[in-house]
Amino acid sequence: MTYLRAIMAIAKKDIMIQFRRPFELFAMFLFALISLLAFAFGMGGDISPEIGSAMLWVIIFLTGMFGFAPVFLSEVDTGTLKGISVAPIPAWAVYLGKVTYGFFLMITVEVFLIPISMVLFGFSLSFTNPYVYATFILGTLDLATVGSMASALTLPVESKATIFPLVYFPTATSALILLVELTRGLVMGPLLIGLDILLKLVAGHLFAMMLLSASIFNYVLTN
Amino acid sequence: MNRTRLLLYIATMITGVIYIYMTWIFAPPEATLHELIRILFQHVAPALTAYLAFGVTLISSILYLWKSDIRYDLVSGASIKIGLLFTTITLLSGMQWAAATWGSPWNWDPRETTTLILWIAYACLLVYRASINDPEIRAQYGSLFGIIAFPAVILSYLSIHLWNTLHPVVITPIGLQMAVEHGMTLGISIIAIILLYIMILDITYRVDKVNEKLMEYRMNRS
Repeated sequence: MTYLRAIMAIAKKDIMIQFRRPFELFAMFLFALISLLAFAFGMGGDISPEIGSAMLWVIIFLTGMFGFAPVFLSEVDTGTLKGISVAPIPAWAVYLGKVTYGFFLMITVEVFLIPISMVLFGFSLSFTNPYVYATFILGTLDLATVGSMASALTLPVESKATIFPLVYFPTATSALILLVELTRGLVMGPLLIGLDILLKLVAGHLFAMMLLSASIFNYVLTN
Repeated sequence: MNRTRLLLYIATMITGVIYIYMTWIFAPPEATLHELIRILFQHVAPALTAYLAFGVTLISSILYLWKSDIRYDLVSGASIKIGLLFTTITLLSGMQWAAATWGSPWNWDPRETTTLILWIAYACLLVYRASINDPEIRAQYGSLFGIIAFPAVILSYLSIHLWNTLHPVVITPIGLQMAVEHGMTLGISIIAIILLYIMILDITYRVDKVNEKLMEYRMNRS
């Protein structure tokens, strides 16, 4: 319970700071919208539901580069990282607090982005289907997990903004591929691999990444 | 040059010559693929060796974090470079094969795509390592990245089982799906390329070690 309170306290701190600068969240949403339009222009407006549903995750992935990069870097800019490292809470609780914050950011953007994509890309997702919720919640959490870790790994680098995508891409790509496949199944119907198996693979990836990232973050904060 | 190193270099050269002989002279043309079978010997061995190189990066990264010995980090860094070299050879020979058998050098086949992702992932790791100036911090963070990049190898290896693919499955649980002469040539090619990997790893490790010492010397002087 104490740990959960610590995780929520870290997340709450970041969310409150975010609400003082709501333009950042809006900028993320605008970036997602610009990517969506760029893809639509690139495809000449002729986008099949299969491609459209895949594009949605690519846009979420790209928006993640925009949204997850400052998760830890903002602590460096404000000089509060040292304070967090000496706070009487375990490093993994700090990490999970940051993941919760990243998840909140991205899911807020997705609430608006998913319906807009469905209209512009011409695919439909049934919101009575529990798999749809499971896919987006697990998928976003997975991307927030690796995004926060990528942000922590760019701490010692000089040109952080340039290097962040290079760390985020290799760690998030395996999740992205699974999520694209899963959403394709939700839009187009049965696939070679069942939705259950794909969902379990995403959950397994999330669990493994969370475990690995928390250990890595523990190392980063204590060294 | 010490005795073990000399033996390694001689063994690499001998198996290299046997590899060239078996690929271009000993192995007969295949019934359906004809001369194209020879591309396979330039493709499978580098692919397996690239997986091995990235596996060595993973293990030496874990060892560095455990023992804090910079030598493990030097092995890790050297293995990334050689792994990238062999992944490039795999991609190029695969494209040659694809152009000849599937009609186009690039088909976005799951194995092609995941191998390209693998190449990009480790190229990102190489750039990441180069962007950190302090050798100790580079070793610490580079080792962490070396561990989390490894799922790209698993993804590339499993891709032909997860998705519908054009890629032929040569090595199966019941053995090699090819003629004995081709199996022998493939076996020799794998041994020759692995020995070549060890030899290049040894040279790169020593060059990087000297570079590190040189950097340290320059830093101390300035």
